[in-house]
Amino acid sequence: MSHFRLAASSIAAPWALFVAGTAHAQAAPSAPANDLDDIKAALAADAKSKPATAAPAETPPATTSSGGIQSLNPDLSLIADFAAAAFSDEQHLQTGAHDPTRNGFNLQALELSLGAAVDPYFRFDSHISFELEGVDVEEAYGTTLGLPFRLQARLGQFLNRFGRINATHPHVWSFSDQPFALGRVFGAEGNKGLGGELSWLTPLPWYVELVGSTMMAGGAETSRSFLGGEERSVHGPKDLLLLAAAKQFFPLSDNWSLAWGMSGAFGPNPSGPGNRSAVYGSDVYLKYRPITTESALVASLTSEWFYRRRQVPGDIVQDVSSYSELFVRFAQRWATAARYEYGSAPFGVSGANIADALDPEWTAARQRVALALTHYPSEFSRFRLQVSRDMPGWRDGIWAGFLTAELAIGAHGAHGF
Amino acid sequence: MLQKLSLFSLVLLVLLAPSAATAKLEVVATTPDLAAIARDVGGPDAHVLALALASQDPHFVDAKPHLALALSKANLLLLTGAGLEVGWLPTLLTGSRNPDIQTGGAGYLDCSSLVPLLEVPSTAVDRSHGDIHPQGNPHYSYDPRRVDALAVGIGKRMAELDPAHKSGYFLRTKTLLEGLRTARARWEARLGQARGQKVIAYHNSLPYLADWLGLEVVEHVEPKPGIPPNPSHIAHVLERARADKVRAIVQQAYYPSGTSKLIADKAGAMFVQIPGYPDFAQGQSYTAYMDDLVTKLAKALVVR
Repeated sequence: MSHFRLAASSIAAPWALFVAGTAHAQAAPSAPANDLDDIKAALAADAKSKPATAAPAETPPATTSSGGIQSLNPDLSLIADFAAAAFSDEQHLQTGAHDPTRNGFNLQALELSLGAAVDPYFRFDSHISFELEGVDVEEAYGTTLGLPFRLQARLGQFLNRFGRINATHPHVWSFSDQPFALGRVFGAEGNKGLGGELSWLTPLPWYVELVGSTMMAGGAETSRSFLGGEERSVHGPKDLLLLAAAKQFFPLSDNWSLAWGMSGAFGPNPSGPGNRSAVYGSDVYLKYRPITTESALVASLTSEWFYRRRQVPGDIVQDVSSYSELFVRFAQRWATAARYEYGSAPFGVSGANIADALDPEWTAARQRVALALTHYPSEFSRFRLQVSRDMPGWRDGIWAGFLTAELAIGAHGAHGF
Repeated sequence: MLQKLSLFSLVLLVLLAPSAATAKLEVVATTPDLAAIARDVGGPDAHVLALALASQDPHFVDAKPHLALALSKANLLLLTGAGLEVGWLPTLLTGSRNPDIQTGGAGYLDCSSLVPLLEVPSTAVDRSHGDIHPQGNPHYSYDPRRVDALAVGIGKRMAELDPAHKSGYFLRTKTLLEGLRTARARWEARLGQARGQKVIAYHNSLPYLADWLGLEVVEHVEPKPGIPPNPSHIAHVLERARADKVRAIVQQAYYPSGTSKLIADKAGAMFVQIPGYPDFAQGQSYTAYMDDLVTKLAKALVVR
């Protein structure tokens, strides 16, 4: 007999009540609304008739019930992003698949997300994006839950964990378009594909996660620096895209946090037999959120750099792209953000500018600045006004203004850091 | 050869014995109230930490990666449940790679399953009602009667996971329950005159406190759960506060206080700021926390 049973005499009341209360809650049907009103009225009358010092009930009232909604259906949510856009030049240079792209109204994304545990060993998540012209399986992958040695594997179609923004979806961005670096280096959709990933949470005293993945190297909108739109059979690892990343996190204090990542992606490119591409990146995310006192303030600084080199016949095409953004949520319902982006002209081994077959017009440095003001009526809706000025060195600048709306229904999603 | 083996065995014993003897049950609680109860029950046999700070709104905790690191080492996860942590815990739980504390694992204890919950909807609800909790209201630890069941449930699960220290968990649970019973008599005596008093809360987080003490929460500063207040709603709250002769505006320290102070000032009510949770990091127990909370309430609600 357990010690808990042996001591029944001394803690019998709460224990028995706990057991009985649970049993009652499981068995009792929910009372009709009019019954509940009667009960409330009776309880109120009782309370008034009692002396002011009457003791509360020894136990919680039995009219309450415990339990929750039991369902084997996956968590399901739908997030819609709409935009009204105006460009000073309709021949603009937006590179993101979810960016507003035309004057007037745009459907940026209609994302259906489903996720649930498959069994004790896996969970499955999928994000399906509906567009006016079709459907895109953004992600659909299984994640292991119990591999030994703090290993974790993902298998399926997923966004590669290169850097900070690549693995995220538009509804967590601070701006209504993606940094042009992502479109330039990987493609409109960001780097994603069918493949597998293994990550390891190291036993170091601070958070260090090492990630390795491999996926198909093709995709005009996902892997343009690698095989892009070219179909190629896989004969070995050299035909696949390989990724290695290290992610670290430093809780500087209760209020300050710092995340730092380094990434590298490697794979073939179609410019010639055996030619390969490599993208190296580093990302920093510094966040200030006072949680030791009451405050709605959230401030963060994100910077991400990409260095790309591609072997082409007779040379190596290289370029650097980056973005930095400052986000400040200054009230419970309001936030503002500023972003600066830079993309170098392509240069060769000698350091001199050379032509890039992927972006032939990109012959000089490009800069872009953007400001955004966001209003959150609630946690599930958002309106944003964004103005940006694109300054490509090879042509006239472009103004862009977006007014975007986001609406989310369904399961409350869990946010990453 | 035998001598070498004996020496080897001795070295092994020396190396392994201390770790076996000092191995503690690693307990991670999402909120400081559960952590404080677990620390009382676990005593020297458990190492307890809380993911959220006492000063933090438990609905909006950042899923900082180092919290996943803590979860990766946990033998037991205690969560408030009823959807309180839905915006941040699932990410950390998956990232922890710890099969023992995943949903359904032996080390996963949703504490909302231990207590009878209030405000479980009996009709269909959606987000037009605000950021509601369809499983019931999760702020149950303000009612010490429910904490009895929490302590017993947590103690039982600790004993199942760490049977070698079962008697310790039992004795400390018993001590905690006895202490709570004594303290509860003290708290109820002190706040007996407060029964029937009308109060306003900031968020719908006081139904259990009201249920226990016989308070009547007549309005909330938030028009609906999770929806920031707007002027027309505040005007309505103020009107209600005056009409109902509301005694106090009661809210947790992690909610903004300006609007509530304004209502209190204009309606002739008292503004009562209560700590959201025990200050677990500074060693505060649940009982000490409730002593503090009851003192604050008594100042506002008990007529002298």
